[in-house]
Amino acid sequence: MADRIFAGVLFLVAIGYTIIAFTVIRAPFQYDPLGPESWPRILGIVSIPCCLFILAKPDVSSLGLPAKTWGRLAALIVMLLVYSYLFQPLGFILATFAFCLALSLMLGARLVTGLAFSAGIGIVGYFVCTKLLELNLPAGVLTIFR
Amino acid sequence: MDAVFSGLASGFQVALDPFNLFLVLAGCFAGTLIGALPGIGPINGVAILLPIAYSLGFKPESAIILLAGIYYGAEYGGRISSILLNVPGDAGAVMTTLDGNPMARNGEAGKALSLSAVASFIGGTFAVVLMSFFGPALASYAIHFSPSDYVALMVFAFASLASLVGSNPVKTLLAALIGLMLASVGIDANTGVARFTFGIPDILAGIDFLVVVIGLFGMAELIHLVEQQAAGTLRTLKIDKSFVTMKDLAFTKWTILRGSVIGFFIGILPGTGASVASAVAYGAEKRAARDSSKFGNGDMRGLAAPEAANNASAGGAMVPMLTLGIPGSGTTAILLGALLLFNITPGPLMFSQRPEIAWGLIASMYIGNVALLIINLPLVGLFARMLTIPQQFLTPLIAVLAFIGVYSVVSNPHDLYMITLLGVFGWFLRKLQFSLAPVILGFVLGGLFEDNLRRALSISGGDWSILVTSFNSVILYALALLVVVVPILVGRMRRGRSEGESPQAPS
Repeated sequence: MADRIFAGVLFLVAIGYTIIAFTVIRAPFQYDPLGPESWPRILGIVSIPCCLFILAKPDVSSLGLPAKTWGRLAALIVMLLVYSYLFQPLGFILATFAFCLALSLMLGARLVTGLAFSAGIGIVGYFVCTKLLELNLPAGVLTIFR
Repeated sequence: MDAVFSGLASGFQVALDPFNLFLVLAGCFAGTLIGALPGIGPINGVAILLPIAYSLGFKPESAIILLAGIYYGAEYGGRISSILLNVPGDAGAVMTTLDGNPMARNGEAGKALSLSAVASFIGGTFAVVLMSFFGPALASYAIHFSPSDYVALMVFAFASLASLVGSNPVKTLLAALIGLMLASVGIDANTGVARFTFGIPDILAGIDFLVVVIGLFGMAELIHLVEQQAAGTLRTLKIDKSFVTMKDLAFTKWTILRGSVIGFFIGILPGTGASVASAVAYGAEKRAARDSSKFGNGDMRGLAAPEAANNASAGGAMVPMLTLGIPGSGTTAILLGALLLFNITPGPLMFSQRPEIAWGLIASMYIGNVALLIINLPLVGLFARMLTIPQQFLTPLIAVLAFIGVYSVVSNPHDLYMITLLGVFGWFLRKLQFSLAPVILGFVLGGLFEDNLRRALSISGGDWSILVTSFNSVILYALALLVVVVPILVGRMRRGRSEGESPQAPS
């Protein structure tokens, strides 16, 4: 079933891709026999039967994950999205501290070691990357470190 | 022949430059560490560290020497967690667990680690030596390839990919198509027409290679690690005082040599890397052995063969990447993308136009293999201790490295969402037994495939028969057919004999 759902989604995407390739993409003028639309058309036409094949003969019936695992994965995705959202405005040090603390606690770290680890990654990571390796990381609200 | 030696001489000049020498050693050390950590293999390690290496502003040859060091260093280090934890560091090290872990449980952990280090060294060095001779020869042949020959080469590459990688050829093909489709997004270079951009300015120049790589191989791996999160910490077996003897090496010398040859040539085939090479080498060794009853219970041959093969395949996979611009494995696809980021197009002209990169890389691999043997024999205890780094700290670290990498190159917060979404997509692909390597191969080769097809047809004025007229292309189509048909026939024959004991290549 899982295979069918995924292949079904891919099938819809492939259909959409092919329709766009046949209708929207058009060069105003061209000298070559193959324009910008030919290659996507080929890809679309080859991918549709592949999706249909998997729809007809799926080989993964279910992902077989317990509900608890799904919960953990959902929490991870939320953390990653929040981390992405806060990365620039809050700055590397604070955002990383919060993210590392949340994730390591979820994965079973003790509070004190988790705090030490997260603070270490945030602060040491920032200075190693910006001062030693001269990479570009956001300072965010801690403008004194800029 | 002279060209090879003068090329090597100039290569060693590049590789022995103190800074580059430092990078070789740093790459090998980091690679062994990454390979040893359970769950993170060469491809994830290279993917996560690529943007950081790129934004450090190295010269291209230095960056590629570092990344390649991480690649074959990780193939080396993968054996440590296989032997001591029975958890393969990556797909290429799965076969190593079969006999390596039983050896360690029988109280021969030290011997297993040292024997596999020597086997890896021989496999790796053998591959580099062959590469020094094969590479330039293949390049001087491929220099005459026309666009239509390149189209045939791509067809061959995708045929061998579909037939040899993963469990389901249709899924592998679809994965490659997903990569090709992702590559077709953006402004078409020939006509300036925007394709599949939906008016989003961020993707007019195409989807960023680094974002795709980090998303599919860094973030998807992260999600996988969290999913696999087991209660309690893994317990490693102790490293004892046993050590490999000359007698053991004499016993396994043909095994190692056979494994190296198999690994190198499977590595050359586009898309098939260490996992296929080690599986084939293990199966061949088991069938060739007169007494195969000990295989699976700690036979030295069962450990030496896959280890020699997976290191030889890393060298083999570099050959088509450097000479044809077609990567021989998923990880070399990332290295190829890295070269493209530096505006260097690998291909037959690289040996003559950018010798410092081609030969510098080859020379650095000679040095790296020796360095790996040296750091792996005495320091193996140090790496073994790394295995006990608690997962709850390792996992956030991967995410932080991925974020640093993407942000420091692109500096665009939207790309942080993008890698998370691509990570979810990649994780689903993985769960549904699609291989991820074909996606990245398709993504890297997409532009090249399309360009050559269009060029071939503009040479012929729209006549499709140009694709099958040259001698080279006919040979390549025949090879493509062969690579699809032979495994099917072999599978039938084996089922006919109802043995069914050959190990399946992990996807």
